[in-house]
Amino acid sequence: MNTNDTTIPFQVDLSNCNKEPIHIPGSIQPHGVLLALQEVELTILQVSNNTFDFFGIYPEQLLDQHLSCLLEIEQINLLQDCLAHEDLPVINPIEFCIKIADNTLYFDGIVHRSDGCLILELEPSSSEKNNTFFRFYHQVKLAMSKIQGAANVIGLSQTLAQEVRKITGFDRVMIYRFDENWHGQVIAEEKPEYLTSYLGLHYPASDIPQQARQLYSQNWLRLIPNAHYQPVAMIPLCNPLNNQPLDLSRAVLRSVSPLHIEYMQNMGVTASMSISIMKNQKLWGLIACHHQVPKYIPYEIRTACEFLGQMTSVEMSNKEDSEYTESKIHLKSVQSKLIEYMSGETNFIDGLINYEPNLLNLVNAQGAVVCFNSNYYPVGQTPTTADIQNLVEWISQNLQDEIFYTESLAQVYPAAEKMRDVASGLIALSISKSQKNYVLWFRPEVVRTVDWGGNPNKPVEVTANGGVRLSPRKSFELWKETVLLKSLPWKSFEVNAALELRNAIIGVVLRKADELAQLNIELERSNQELDAFAYIASHDLKEPLRGIHNYSNFLIEDYGTIIDEPGKEKLVTLIRLTQRMEDLIDSLLHFSRLGRVDLFMQQTDLNEIVHRILDMLSGRIEETGVEIRIPRPLPTVYCDRIQIGEVFSNLIANAIKYNDKPQKWIEIGYLEHPSPTTTFYVRDNGIGIREKHFEAIFRIFKRLHGPSKYGGGTGAGLTIAKKIVERHGGKIWLESIYGEGSTFYFTLE
Amino acid sequence: MIGNIAQPLLIIEDSDEDYEALRRIMHKEVVLNPIFRCHDGDDALDFLYHKGIYNNNQAVPRPAIILLDLNLPGTDGREILAQLKQDKDLKYIPVIVLTTSCNPKDIEICYRYCVASYIVKPIDINRLVKTIHSFLTYWLDIVILPDAVSK
Repeated sequence: MNTNDTTIPFQVDLSNCNKEPIHIPGSIQPHGVLLALQEVELTILQVSNNTFDFFGIYPEQLLDQHLSCLLEIEQINLLQDCLAHEDLPVINPIEFCIKIADNTLYFDGIVHRSDGCLILELEPSSSEKNNTFFRFYHQVKLAMSKIQGAANVIGLSQTLAQEVRKITGFDRVMIYRFDENWHGQVIAEEKPEYLTSYLGLHYPASDIPQQARQLYSQNWLRLIPNAHYQPVAMIPLCNPLNNQPLDLSRAVLRSVSPLHIEYMQNMGVTASMSISIMKNQKLWGLIACHHQVPKYIPYEIRTACEFLGQMTSVEMSNKEDSEYTESKIHLKSVQSKLIEYMSGETNFIDGLINYEPNLLNLVNAQGAVVCFNSNYYPVGQTPTTADIQNLVEWISQNLQDEIFYTESLAQVYPAAEKMRDVASGLIALSISKSQKNYVLWFRPEVVRTVDWGGNPNKPVEVTANGGVRLSPRKSFELWKETVLLKSLPWKSFEVNAALELRNAIIGVVLRKADELAQLNIELERSNQELDAFAYIASHDLKEPLRGIHNYSNFLIEDYGTIIDEPGKEKLVTLIRLTQRMEDLIDSLLHFSRLGRVDLFMQQTDLNEIVHRILDMLSGRIEETGVEIRIPRPLPTVYCDRIQIGEVFSNLIANAIKYNDKPQKWIEIGYLEHPSPTTTFYVRDNGIGIREKHFEAIFRIFKRLHGPSKYGGGTGAGLTIAKKIVERHGGKIWLESIYGEGSTFYFTLE
Repeated sequence: MIGNIAQPLLIIEDSDEDYEALRRIMHKEVVLNPIFRCHDGDDALDFLYHKGIYNNNQAVPRPAIILLDLNLPGTDGREILAQLKQDKDLKYIPVIVLTTSCNPKDIEICYRYCVASYIVKPIDINRLVKTIHSFLTYWLDIVILPDAVSK
């Protein structure tokens, strides 16, 4: 028999505890006796080295013997009856009484099969247990009804902790939940006042290594009545049939990993019990019970707790699923609200960020930004605009899919490290790649997000004797290190909600584009109608007007000798009025056509333009004797030469017209300040304009003087000038002192 | 003969032709009231506040009634109306709007400013004569106007 190879004690520390073979410790806890039996003969193959303490028989005396050396024949028959049962654990515990000398000792016999062996564990029990079933039945029933009444997972956990503490009497009972990465968090706790609270604390996945979790999944319950125990070795260490160490995965007496013992000691815990909470065959969490002094829990109570754990597992799953469903329903309602808001707003982005709920609620993010046509519309906590700009650039270059999400942006985009506070987690939803239009959602680093339940700043005292020491506080630090630069993970339904929003946005954007196109069509039509109107005005209105004009002239020609002077004057007035009417119609036509004619932009020497205009106006200039001043040559600018000519023509003609001074002058020039655009001006020493009319004079047909004063005018000139300047991207304004003169300024972009 | 020699009538009208038509009809009716004409809004305000060329109080009496055109060069009729009705000394003077505009917005604004009447100028000369005749009979003969001179 070569046992040495497999029993070399495995040296464990934090670096390799995930490899420790904790299912084959080769020893047990001393509060019971463990026997490995060969079926069907029930020959004792291995036995724990503590039989003498219980039965006064040395292990060697039992080895290779039939079980009858320990149990009476009727009890062996009872056991064999039980063994025939299909589902072995259901029969546990089998009550045995063993006569030792004059005493009869009572034991709870717990059997299971492992590696072809029958494992029988014997735990001493009290003799009176007849009514225990009913006692615990009621307690469990009561507990179950309370648990079923809980509103949500947290409420349920709280009730569960309370009830387990009531049934077991442990100092502290906690409900511990694993996340996707097996990091754990205490989500409920029952404890006396004097103990430090662990509620809300986080623990790294390494605290409960993979193989330990494996055992938790296999066994609903694990009890360590006294962590200060002396392990009891198995004799022999290996199973003589296969020369392997005995697999104690499912043995209730299985010895505890030294690391776990140390962990318990660090926490000041002597006795512990844990009950698994499973969801879909996967470990969901634990009911963790701690006691400061040794504490043994009899099998019945353990069974009650186990039952509670199993029932809770079902409830917990239901509750969690319904919470999940509720959040999904909630997201649906957020989604439909967002669509409603988007449709109601002229700019769909306002609908996404200006209301409650908004973009943030859709995926439970702390920050979001809509990047649309190079503008950024943020909501909540977002990185700076510059950081967003860079991020968008990176996204557009590196990501092809409609949606990208990560809980650790810094891993793929190192620049995100400095934005960990707001953007450790990212969902990037692409609306249109070519336009770099995105919706981005951000989540901060999870360390900044966790709920600090209890008081994590009050660490449990740790006796320092070298090596790494674990305490809840320390574990929190460890956990923190493992989740740095990470946000809470995005849930699949949140990602889906984001993706669905994309369709909604595209729908709304397309519809808005459609509406715009429709508007354009209507605008086009109304422009055409306006055009038609202008032509009707110019032709049809002018026809009767010409008649009046001509007939008035005929009257003067034919009857000039008969009609007296006042009569002639009236006819002259009539002719003047027809001319004015024609001017008005022409101006209206001209103005209405102005915006529709394409600009013919070219480099234009303004000196040429101005001189052409002055030539055209030379008659009036000579007549009025106005002095034209051009202090320095005008620049060459990029503009439509015809239209800019019209601007100068209108301004200069006005300047000539509205002047009552004996020495009239007009100055045409430009300012280079304020840069960058050149400001042109036409200045006069004319009659000036009251400040209250500064804006009105640009309105069409708005005149400041009666038709008989200053040579009349239609009141369209300045309106036309303004329109031309605006079409060139510039603006026009004036300064004036009433009675002293005016200056009209304009810029061209 | 119609009207009262002590109650001046102010006509604010920019169109010489329209004013001429008005003046002709009033001449036929032999209106006794002194008639003053302002050509535009600024002119009218100067008249009412005795400013500019009207700063001689004796020659420029306060009108007992105002006939107002709406579309005027410079300060237009609506602005004059707004100004008049804000002024506690001037707001009691009845203002009759006489305009070519039949825009409902103008009509509403004018009545909001409590004009005494809003009359649209008819194009047809016969109807214009009738309208002006009715106006003169009603406002200068039947209605008792506030005593302007004593103010």
